[in-house]
Amino acid sequence: MRYLLLAVLVVIPVALIGWMFWVGHVPPPLEPTPAARKVAGDAELLALFKDPLAGAKVKGEIALYDAKGLFNYIDGAAPIFIERHFRKLAAAELASADGADLTCDVYDMSSPADAESIFSKERSASAKPAPGFAQGVSGPMSLVFRQGRYYVKLTAFDAKAEAALPAVGQAIAGKIP
Amino acid sequence: MKRIPAPPAPKRPFTRREALKVASTAAAALGTVGLGLFLYDRVPPASKPLPPLKDHKIARPAGAAQMAIVHGSDAADNTRRAIEALGGMGAFVRPGDRVVVKPNIGWNRLPEQAANSNPDVVAQVVRMVLAAGASKVWVTDNPVNNAERCFERSGILKATGAAGGTAVLPNSGSFREVLVEGKVLHVANVLWPVVEADRVINVPMVKHHGMSAATLSMKNWYGVLGGHRVRLHQDIHRSIVDLAAMVKPTLTVLDCTRLLMANGPTGGSLDDVKRFDAVAAGIDEVALDAFGASLLGLKPEAVGFIGEAERSGLGTSDYKSLKLVEVGGSG
Repeated sequence: MRYLLLAVLVVIPVALIGWMFWVGHVPPPLEPTPAARKVAGDAELLALFKDPLAGAKVKGEIALYDAKGLFNYIDGAAPIFIERHFRKLAAAELASADGADLTCDVYDMSSPADAESIFSKERSASAKPAPGFAQGVSGPMSLVFRQGRYYVKLTAFDAKAEAALPAVGQAIAGKIP
Repeated sequence: MKRIPAPPAPKRPFTRREALKVASTAAAALGTVGLGLFLYDRVPPASKPLPPLKDHKIARPAGAAQMAIVHGSDAADNTRRAIEALGGMGAFVRPGDRVVVKPNIGWNRLPEQAANSNPDVVAQVVRMVLAAGASKVWVTDNPVNNAERCFERSGILKATGAAGGTAVLPNSGSFREVLVEGKVLHVANVLWPVVEADRVINVPMVKHHGMSAATLSMKNWYGVLGGHRVRLHQDIHRSIVDLAAMVKPTLTVLDCTRLLMANGPTGGSLDDVKRFDAVAAGIDEVALDAFGASLLGLKPEAVGFIGEAERSGLGTSDYKSLKLVEVGGSG
């Protein structure tokens, strides 16, 4: 009886320690860290500017702005983005296939709902729907659309660039999953 | 008998007491020197006090118009008429003066997109300043977007050159530190032409602003600053009033040719632009801002910095109480 009690007293702690050791070594479910998510998010954002872009080319560097730096690009327009969970902006100058200047700003709004919210917020009452985009408006010199978690603003500076906006917009939209 | 000299006394090693005395004296000496150096470093050098910006306001003759609003399809002509209604540019600029003209050139936008001051208005002001005998006219701003792009795309670079002025694009060496002594802004880095000039002419435009409700005359001084301007957004209305109290312009010409009614200050879509075809000029920025706000459908009390500026004694929001001249367009 004495031996049995001793065996129980020894076996139970050993088993418990063994079980804890085993559980501690089971790898956690695979979830990317915030840093890994950020890197992946930036890569997805920059990939939207890769060829083909309906003949347009990125001129110079693509500038990335986070919530802290957004004021340096859009100043007092920044808060309405930040309060809608804005994650990052990629801003680029493009040259259309025939050499006209345009700018392309792609806002990663973290979620489709946030992107839809900023699209609705900025949409002018007189804006006309942009053909070919589920949520898009076009007007003289501009094309704005929302797709997935992205809010995209294309601005032209002359008639040639304006004519290129729909095709460039479609090229970007086509890369958004 | 030959005397033998005594042998030299053997060198006596330090006793423990003597060694301790030497060590403690040396430590005390080192400590004294170290403390002296430490305290010497803590004494701040006598600093030269920073200068404030000059007050560029001028006394107006009794009975002279204080504000003018001119409507018409030609922006340059509206500008000329508005300034003439105030007594002409000669009432504000003396021969030989060096004058700075400060439009809003903050954005990589075309004139049609109404994010910057109209180039025709800017050019007309430059021409009138030169005609009044100014020796130099600088046109400057520190844009939010790339400076070269903004000056070029806005049309202001070309218009300034054609009118005989000098466009001053900012770089890291373009700013001078000045005393502000405001409630939230105490010291500022300001574009050098604004510091150097004998006369200062503000040429803002009217547009919506996401944080301050509107960008008008007083908010336009944001563009003379260098450094970390974003911090001003923490108390934006008070910051704007501090800026308005810092720069006391000789004359303000408010471009109301195109109004950006929404999505400011960046704009971009012509759907947000409304043509108004007018220019207002005056010496009271608070009054001009109250008028500009009304064009955006805002009462003065809806724009925080207008009320705050009025309470600070910078002007009146009741622009209709001033000696106001309002005329139709060219005809």
